[in-house]
Amino acid sequence: MTKLTESTCSHCGISFRWKAIEIEDVDGGRKSFCCRGCRGAWQLICSSGMGSFYQRGERVTPTVNELTTPAYNESDLAQRLIPEGEFCRFDILIGGISCPSCIWLLERMISGIPGVEHVSLSYSAGIASLSINPLRVSPLQIFGVISQLGYTPRPYSPEQSDKDTRRERDDLLLRFGTALFLSMQLMAYSYALYAGYFQGMSSAIKQFLQYVSLAVTTPVVFYSGWPFLAGAWRSLKTRAPGMDLLIATGAISAWVYSLWATFAGEETYFESAATIVTFVLIGRLLELSVRRRAMSGISALYASAPQRATLVEGEGHREVDVEDLHPGDLLLIRQGDRFPVDCLLIDGETEVDQSLATGESLPVLLFAGDEVRSGCVNVAAPVTVQALRPVGQSYLMRVASLVQMAQAGKPRLQLLADRVSGWFVPFVIILALLVGIGRFALAGEGIGAAVMSALSVVLIACPCAMGLAVPAAVLAACSRAATLGIILRSGDVIERLATINVALFDKTGTITRGEPQVISFEACGGFAEPDVIQASATVEEPAAHPLARSIVRHAADLGFLPEDCREFSNIAGRGISGILPDGRRVLCGSEHFLHESGVDLRSFRDITQTSATHVLIAIDDQLAGLYQLIDKLRHGAEEMVTDLLSNQIDLGIISGDHQATVERIAAEVGVRSARGGMTPDQKLAYVQTLQNEGRSVLMAGDGVNDAPALAAATVSCSLSGSSDIAMENADIIITGDDLSKIAAACHLSRATIKIIKQNLAWAFLYNLIGIPIAMAGLLTPVYAAVAMTASSLLVSLNSMRLMRFKKNG
Amino acid sequence: MDESLIILIVLSLCLGTACWLVFIWAVKKGQFEDVEKPKHRMLDDD
Repeated sequence: MTKLTESTCSHCGISFRWKAIEIEDVDGGRKSFCCRGCRGAWQLICSSGMGSFYQRGERVTPTVNELTTPAYNESDLAQRLIPEGEFCRFDILIGGISCPSCIWLLERMISGIPGVEHVSLSYSAGIASLSINPLRVSPLQIFGVISQLGYTPRPYSPEQSDKDTRRERDDLLLRFGTALFLSMQLMAYSYALYAGYFQGMSSAIKQFLQYVSLAVTTPVVFYSGWPFLAGAWRSLKTRAPGMDLLIATGAISAWVYSLWATFAGEETYFESAATIVTFVLIGRLLELSVRRRAMSGISALYASAPQRATLVEGEGHREVDVEDLHPGDLLLIRQGDRFPVDCLLIDGETEVDQSLATGESLPVLLFAGDEVRSGCVNVAAPVTVQALRPVGQSYLMRVASLVQMAQAGKPRLQLLADRVSGWFVPFVIILALLVGIGRFALAGEGIGAAVMSALSVVLIACPCAMGLAVPAAVLAACSRAATLGIILRSGDVIERLATINVALFDKTGTITRGEPQVISFEACGGFAEPDVIQASATVEEPAAHPLARSIVRHAADLGFLPEDCREFSNIAGRGISGILPDGRRVLCGSEHFLHESGVDLRSFRDITQTSATHVLIAIDDQLAGLYQLIDKLRHGAEEMVTDLLSNQIDLGIISGDHQATVERIAAEVGVRSARGGMTPDQKLAYVQTLQNEGRSVLMAGDGVNDAPALAAATVSCSLSGSSDIAMENADIIITGDDLSKIAAACHLSRATIKIIKQNLAWAFLYNLIGIPIAMAGLLTPVYAAVAMTASSLLVSLNSMRLMRFKKNG
Repeated sequence: MDESLIILIVLSLCLGTACWLVFIWAVKKGQFEDVEKPKHRMLDDD
């Protein structure tokens, strides 16, 4: 038995208690590493002269775990090269970047590879753009270096949508920059004009300042405000008045009124037109930057499908493109490979990781005659299978098309601001027309004066406060959410979230952690506890099964490190066997496996906790110990359930796991509705059924099998570390491990709606006072200036209250 | 007095326009592509 003190890995910096791999540094000092991967990374970094990496202060380096080779082949990657002049452009999405030091290291290591001409890495997106000489370096070599450092490289082709987002952002940035610059100039003239109003000002200077104001405001309204003008025009055509119409009406009316006033020698309101446009542009810009991190989820799903398959032809094998597979083809699936198409197991038995299809992390034992879905991983042994469907009709592609369909058919909620302006804009315009006609026909005023009093009604009715009411509150809520570890994809999520009355959760990986953990260990048959833990860690060490990993981790936490195991063998679905250095033979596995192997199980006591998974240990055919493992609930799960239930939100768990397991977990957290055995399309159908009943559904899930349901749900939520496609279909991403943040997000959204309503109420109060004054033709610059500033300030300050929102209500 | 005011306003507008042109150039050159990395870069010793 070996018991060790804690040591720290020289590469990744984690503390560990197993035996360190030690090497001698050039200066004679000893370096210890937690694994071979970390040692490899350290050697690579030091031999490239990047040793100063380890002297950097803040550094979060990923543990390298294994010396992995990336699962891509040369020809796939070569297709991704885009010729650019004499070199090729190659984009890589790098996973695992967590600190600026990572960027520092990666940029230098990649640019150090001969043949790489230029590298630039974006910190926020984690995308490296390389310019390489394909004759001197292959993309696979670059992938090799990146994965050797412990990061995960993936080929990345900039999607059209991504390019569009970038163009949209540049466009918006230019419009906003222009608006801001001109508005600042304008403010100076406006204050001069305000002062002139009170103190008196020569009419020549006043006229001149008004001309300059006109010159700087016109581009703000017509260039910077173009998106709103275009949006307003669209909403007029579709007869669906929205926020854009309100903003456009406000800006245009202020501009037209001021244009007239400039030439008539009256007071102007150019600053009103310019500030509305500038403020609303800030909101748009910030919202777009939140949205920018989203990438197309469909392409990520395609990337997880294998490109090549091994076709069995008589005695020989041939590599073919998966597109060329036909139903009935015989395929060889090696250990560790993904199944390229839906197929039937015809020879051999193996364990298959079906997490992509069911969300379950434990591999399932399959025999000849069982069906396997595409994308699942063959964990245990090579098998021969028969293709059932072509790749386009196989599971992965079916999920991809389900997601696309669900995204397209997602019900759009009409946003509060749009609803309000839906009746407010027609109301104001009719009122303005009545005032104009009344003054012209009844009071007998000139046509010019009548038009101006009509315009002044519109001008006063669409103030900044109205434009700011929603964006200010949404922005404050988004930034508060981010500090709580809740990332909101776009501002309108808040409004949708506040309407939620049903919340559905996936089980494995969402409500539970998704990996079994040892909850108890007992030695029996006279064996000493440390001896058995040591023995099981030794034989379980080479196994890839999640149960085995948990047992090894449990042993490591107690300070036991695996020794060398001989004659290791893995019997799919049953267990493993191996020989300890001292010659004793150890069996680890199910009750059934040990019984078959002739172990006397009479000393095996009645199991108290039936829900747990059991792993039995036998040493030299004597029962020696029993592990109980359980997939534990995530932190904050019960808290979240009580919280949501007390807010009249119905809860349900939908899972691909067995009904009984789902029911048990549901009972444990306090959820009444539990549905097991659900396929991705059943989950989707369930979400849509609830929506057709008029309910708004929050769906939280982490797996590929949840993606269609996530795409369809009113609000979707995913945890960081989920599958790509789940994260990319999520409106909300929860960082960290705490499920109670979902409840916090619901509270925050409701608080935000409250603030928005208060803001709108204030804007209406302002109108209530302002419109009659404007109708009476008594609108003076003093009133307009004071009211405008006061109402905008009030709305902003009221929205800032969200920044102090507390997580627990 | 009036002339100086006019000259000053026109001058400030010209200065502003110069800054605005620099801003347009920066957007087109992609200076706002990644605003996260450069602030860490200055701490690198090489």
